[in-house]
Amino acid sequence: MKNTIKVERAKKNWTQADLAKHIGISRQGLNSIETGKFVPSTVLALRMAKVFNTTVEILFQLDDTEA
Amino acid sequence: MEQSKKNANRDSVIFALIHGVTYLPATWLLKHDVFDKTFSVIIATVPIITFSIFVFKLIKAFSAMDEVKQRVQLEAVVIGFSLTAMLMMLLFLLSLSDISNPAWFGYGHLVGYCWAFYFIGWFVSKRKYGV
Repeated sequence: MKNTIKVERAKKNWTQADLAKHIGISRQGLNSIETGKFVPSTVLALRMAKVFNTTVEILFQLDDTEA
Repeated sequence: MEQSKKNANRDSVIFALIHGVTYLPATWLLKHDVFDKTFSVIIATVPIITFSIFVFKLIKAFSAMDEVKQRVQLEAVVIGFSLTAMLMMLLFLLSLSDISNPAWFGYGHLVGYCWAFYFIGWFVSKRKYGV
């Protein structure tokens, strides 16, 4: 699973800690998601998309091998 | 929200310490036959009560964790349980042919091994998810 969290974060000039606070998880937890080690739940993905004012499909995409 | 998470974590740590404080003296008292059988049963129950409260607080803390930390805890428990089950199975099989060493593998030791396996699982899972 690929994601564009880092890009979206950069657009808003947010640190990981800022985003983690907005979506209600720990900074370490967010780092785990951003680096692709953990796939978030639907609720968390939707919450993330909401704070970035975008869609889940833009934030998360399947890898070529997963598609 | 953040404060309630911290409180839940703090409570579980406090009750873990309270359990430790009751478990060690109870072990010593029971080992040295300080009291009669009836009172020994009561002494043996005290650490179980404190442990039950600790487990209750731990479950509350678990539900207040974010999903990444919940996954880490879940995998730690799965690894800890699996390793403990494997050790007990091995000890059972060895005991069938009278190969066992109660000095190292008594019930009390198994509790220690169980916690050690949980912490191994926790360490492995923390490294896996980078938290």
